[in-house]
Amino acid sequence: MILPQKQPLDRQEQFSVPLVTELYYYLRENIREYAMFIALFVIMGIFAIATDGLFISSRNLVNLLNQTGYIAVLAIGMTLVIVIRHIDLSVGFLAGFLGAVAATAMTAWNLPVYAVIPMVLGMGIVAGLINSFLVANLGIPAFVATLAGWLGYRGALQLLTRATGTIIIRDEIFNDIGNGFIPDIPDIGILSGMHRATLILGLLAIAIYLASEIRSRLRSSNNGIPQSSLTVFILKLVLITALIGGTTWILSGYRGLSWTAVIVLVVVGFYHFITTRTVLGRHIYAVGGNPEAAELSGISVKKITHVVFASMGMLSALSGILYASRLRSATTTAGTLFELDAIAAAYVGGVSAAGGVGRVLGSLVGALVMTSLTSGMNLMGIDISYQYIVRALVLAAAVIFDVATRQKVK
Amino acid sequence: MPQPVDSVPVVEMRNIKKSFGAVQALRGVDLVLNKNEVLGLVGDNAAGKSTLMKVLSGAYIPDEGEILIEGQPVHFSNPMDARRMGIEMVYQDYALANNLDVSANVFLGREVVKYRVGPFQVMDYHQMEEETRELLTRLNIRLPSVKQKVERLSGGQRQAVAIARATAFNAKVIIMDEPTAALSVASTQQVLDLIQELKDQGASIIIISHRLEDIFQVGDRMIVLRQGRKVCDTPVSGDLHNFREQVVAYMIGARDDFAAKATA
Repeated sequence: MILPQKQPLDRQEQFSVPLVTELYYYLRENIREYAMFIALFVIMGIFAIATDGLFISSRNLVNLLNQTGYIAVLAIGMTLVIVIRHIDLSVGFLAGFLGAVAATAMTAWNLPVYAVIPMVLGMGIVAGLINSFLVANLGIPAFVATLAGWLGYRGALQLLTRATGTIIIRDEIFNDIGNGFIPDIPDIGILSGMHRATLILGLLAIAIYLASEIRSRLRSSNNGIPQSSLTVFILKLVLITALIGGTTWILSGYRGLSWTAVIVLVVVGFYHFITTRTVLGRHIYAVGGNPEAAELSGISVKKITHVVFASMGMLSALSGILYASRLRSATTTAGTLFELDAIAAAYVGGVSAAGGVGRVLGSLVGALVMTSLTSGMNLMGIDISYQYIVRALVLAAAVIFDVATRQKVK
Repeated sequence: MPQPVDSVPVVEMRNIKKSFGAVQALRGVDLVLNKNEVLGLVGDNAAGKSTLMKVLSGAYIPDEGEILIEGQPVHFSNPMDARRMGIEMVYQDYALANNLDVSANVFLGREVVKYRVGPFQVMDYHQMEEETRELLTRLNIRLPSVKQKVERLSGGQRQAVAIARATAFNAKVIIMDEPTAALSVASTQQVLDLIQELKDQGASIIIISHRLEDIFQVGDRMIVLRQGRKVCDTPVSGDLHNFREQVVAYMIGARDDFAAKATA
């Protein structure tokens, strides 16, 4: 059967095309993938200029990453929930409640921190499974089922903190999760003023990134898969290398990589691996794209729903731990509006309400964009009311962009 | 199309009955599909075509009757059972995940695993893409790339992917439910060419269709159902005009080759 065949452009032969033109075409074709990174660059650039560099100072960047942490992990879990066409509104107060449970366990029950953290993560998984039971087994719309959770965990949080009010956490290990930094290697005489362990990790990250990109490019060219020209490829490598290198350098100037940043990077790396490389990841996206087709292909939609909500519950627990640790205490209002921040971050990061579309990395960038806006506008002394309006505009713009580029595809 | 008389049919359904509450959807239908045969299944709405095929593909469990695959009695309790026995269904709405690429759809639910990390199975992309490419080449289906997302394909291309997917795992029988209903004229011809290609390569196919000219073009034999009964079972022959008139007569009940059996 003869179908009209779109010849893949062999760009290797188009070396005469001016770089700007080629960049334009490359960006246009891959706009959905890079728009968030570009937006983040632009926003950070604007704030850097507007605050005379204060925004990209070591101290502020560390703060920014630590503030993003507890929303970013929620946004990553939320990405998968939205991908399978559901929503989870319970995550905010679940995080707050489980943070309070952790605080109570350490202060009132005198449990050691290394028992408390797995216990709380386990409770998060159970909470997620309760949601997925309501959604997958009883057929209750996720919006309603998790709204019940929102109410319930809010009540539970208030009950737990009613007697004492704010619970102060004195465990240093626990508090380091949200405030501490990775240890440095001993001073060997060079770069004495810098955090050397962070620099080494940054170099390692750059090396791994370059190796994997070059390897996958060589592989595709062996298989005759069309790809961007060498110039665009090198430009991309240079940009990402500069980004990782720059961030590492700035962070090294202060106290290095925070534990929160390490945790977020590990979570992102793990979820990126699951969603892009594994059968489970592919099945999650298949369920999001077409649940009926997935079921007919022998994929259990129920099982996927359980897995996704359980992971969301676990990440809610992690978010609660990060937040409580950062504040060194559990408060009566912890977790308020986290769910909406996470949902906003996921949408800004390119998740589609139609289901089946959305990347973990995108949601991390989305979370960074949203926190950068808050942090940058705070530094500039912009009224909080205007801050909300600006964030509203960014969220709306992101969704409009998503809809507009989607229609162009069809 | 001459059939070797002594060969065992790929599929034999005997006296299949299925009711939904008070409605008797199938009232004892017999169906035989021979090897390398294209069987057209026609009938008016609610004649029982789709129900019969859902019984064969494991989606429905019949109240009565038996199914033999290559002479062996089988019992399906779900579509995966039927699939394991080599019965593949191509659905009217393609049943593809549009957000995934061609290769992912072909291997959906049957991904090639490279290795395991704890509970997680890591996929072998290259193997799947390579096999998809070979499959498409073998079926003479041309697509820009196996990495193309399905949502970027035309209706005919999507149906081709759905059919390719059904043939990817050594299917014994491919059932197609209205494979051309949603397609443009050009795409319809592409899909019919693909069906012909499959037949040339030895596949056994059942096609449900409202479009009698499709059955006429690619079918060897035809079964007409009416009100849950088989009323006609005949080789496809003659010219299109006569064929159409003949089929319509059976569909509306003016003719019935199995009336004696029904009253018996």
